Amino acid sequence: MSNGQNGAELRLVTPGMAIGPSAGIRVGSGALAQNDTIIATRLGWVKEFNNTVSVDPINSAYMPRSGDLIVATVAEVRNNLWFMNINGPFQGLLPMSLAPWKVEFGAARQHMGIGDVVLARVQEVDECHNVVLTMKGVGLRRLTQGSLHSVPINHLERLRGEGNATLQRLRDACDCRIIVGENGKVWVDGNSEGTAWARQAFDLVLKSGHKDTFEADLTALEKNAPKNGDA
Amino acid sequence: MVELVPTLLRQELARLAEDDQRLDGRAQWEGREVSLEVDCLYNAEGSAKVVMGKTIVYAGVKFELRTPWPDRPSQGSLMCGAELRPVAHRKYEPGPPSPESIELGRVVDRGIRESGCIDMESLCIVPGEKVWGVMIDIHVLSDGGNIFDACGLAAIAALRTAIVPAERFDVGEDYKLKVNGTPIMSSFTRVGGRYIYDPSEEEELGGDERIHITLGDEGHLHSLQKGLRGVFTPAEFAEIFDVAHQRCTDLRTLVANQEGN
Amino acid sequence: MGGYGDVQLLRDDGLRLDGRKLDEMRPVSIEAGILPAADGSAMVTHGLNVAVAAVYGPMEAHPRKIQRQDRAVIDVRYNMAPFSTGDRIRPGYNRRSREISKVTAEALESVVLVERFPRSKIRVEIEILAAEAGTRCAGLTAAAVALADAGIPMRDLIVGVASGKVEGIVVLDLDKAEDNYGQADLPVGILPNTGEIAFLQMDGDLSPDEYNLAMEYNFKAAAEIHEIMVDALKRRYEGGEN
Repeated sequence: MSNGQNGAELRLVTPGMAIGPSAGIRVGSGALAQNDTIIATRLGWVKEFNNTVSVDPINSAYMPRSGDLIVATVAEVRNNLWFMNINGPFQGLLPMSLAPWKVEFGAARQHMGIGDVVLARVQEVDECHNVVLTMKGVGLRRLTQGSLHSVPINHLERLRGEGNATLQRLRDACDCRIIVGENGKVWVDGNSEGTAWARQAFDLVLKSGHKDTFEADLTALEKNAPKNGDA
Repeated sequence: MVELVPTLLRQELARLAEDDQRLDGRAQWEGREVSLEVDCLYNAEGSAKVVMGKTIVYAGVKFELRTPWPDRPSQGSLMCGAELRPVAHRKYEPGPPSPESIELGRVVDRGIRESGCIDMESLCIVPGEKVWGVMIDIHVLSDGGNIFDACGLAAIAALRTAIVPAERFDVGEDYKLKVNGTPIMSSFTRVGGRYIYDPSEEEELGGDERIHITLGDEGHLHSLQKGLRGVFTPAEFAEIFDVAHQRCTDLRTLVANQEGN
Repeated sequence: MGGYGDVQLLRDDGLRLDGRKLDEMRPVSIEAGILPAADGSAMVTHGLNVAVAAVYGPMEAHPRKIQRQDRAVIDVRYNMAPFSTGDRIRPGYNRRSREISKVTAEALESVVLVERFPRSKIRVEIEILAAEAGTRCAGLTAAAVALADAGIPMRDLIVGVASGKVEGIVVLDLDKAEDNYGQADLPVGILPNTGEIAFLQMDGDLSPDEYNLAMEYNFKAAAEIHEIMVDALKRRYEGGEN
């Protein structure tokens, strides 16, 4: 698990703090070799794996990587492209040519307007943070119903669980479709009871996703799930 | 910065309104829990901190000696200002005071001033020469929705605990500022087509126009403000007016309890 | 420095007016993550000073002209609330707050790994709610904790501390009276792990020996405050004992 919280491995570090000697050890993300020492550059949990030391940050902005599946919102429309809010520092750009429809020049607005929410994939990110999105691909589409939620980036793994097991539990409990975007935006589609329950589950991830009690809290919440109420 | 409103949010708010529900599970006229702390700022002569959900607001009272206006030689003055600085939210940008922060300060100012809770004559030291100027400054540290009510509450609570610093200005002994009444503001926003009390951040983002009502101890109106794009009917106003009466009684009790401490 | 020599700031028993020893700092407490709307935040109470910092970003740098193609810019605003001082301060930027904002931003840019975020901006908002000498240091400390809380990569934290001179004697952490009537003030921003200095100002009159002693006091205090900073960050996240 990414949390590094299993028993004795628990170690929270702050920026600048020494993690250990750097000799013969690879330095992963969230850390830096300085003189003979590896220091943390972020607030987070120390992770040692495969002779690599890294720090799993406790809080993080979304940094897009090519291939990411994300839930984005249209922020601006031009004649032949859309600018999308992707919950990161920079907007993503969806060119007409990568839209799922055949779009005539100047007709972008007829397909999607400001505020519309889509499921897209990150096509490309360059070193200057220019982000190109695509909606060509299986399942990529405009999301015309359902609701939009947020989950901290660093808790996404917690939300999904090993092999998506936790996510599947949530889906079963509230009988909703749930799509988790890499950008911390989550789409939920179902009846209002199920959606309200899913909202509580996401609040739980926000509040105790980093705690040992998460599993127990989630099990307790499952008891109040709409499906159990019906049974 | 204009915030982006996802169409899915507006759709969901409309659907919830149909089922008489809200995003955070509150009832239509239910407010969030309010925490009020007074005397919490060391250099202010009166101060208060209000926390309502994700909203955090401070108010501080300062006094100055000034010469009265020529046409009102025996009256002091009261001024209330609000700062919506970029600390409070991603959407606030640096620069001169925005129309939003000026509106906020003026609506709170009117509610307090027009309730008559401060007797301007009582702020006079030497007629025509020396009067007190009372200044309430409101500082929004975190905007999690409905900053108007939080600011109104912080301002009156700070004022009601203020000590006039007469000694420091060499005009006698310090004494408690006399405040006759506790005007309370109640705010309503149209969300999903209907009005709700005490909007959260998401409800404001996906909502429409808002109405602010300040009521005095006797239940009289002292300030009204309609903000943002949208219209309402007299029947809608009658309904929220009733709710405002109920809600302001609870908050007035909260202020009174804090003063007791 | 006010520089009036006739105000007594040290008692006959050698202690300071508030009972502190020469190398004793005022009590400091720190809380991280106090502002729900911000990406990271902190409140530092240092003596009677109260400084709050909020961090937003990284976000796209606007306006375009402040953008740097090779790194992020840190946009700091230090502001004193109107009610934070004895006499009310008119709201708005003044020369003093502009200068402090500038040098604070440059200090923070020295520890934040800004090259990770080309064309971005990280907004740091420092609000002083109560002032009693030493607000720039409390603000700097708060900003560093808020940046760490926001998950911004940094090679170290920064601790803001100050020493000065009263009645010809070097003392740690001037309070209001000592600041008004003392002879020197030396506020610094210290990187607690590397021992480097990222923020430095001074006014008044210090001999080279006095400077060295003042710096020695500052480093001692920085180590103490660093522990409180680390504790504040850990309390926010560790296993939820709190």
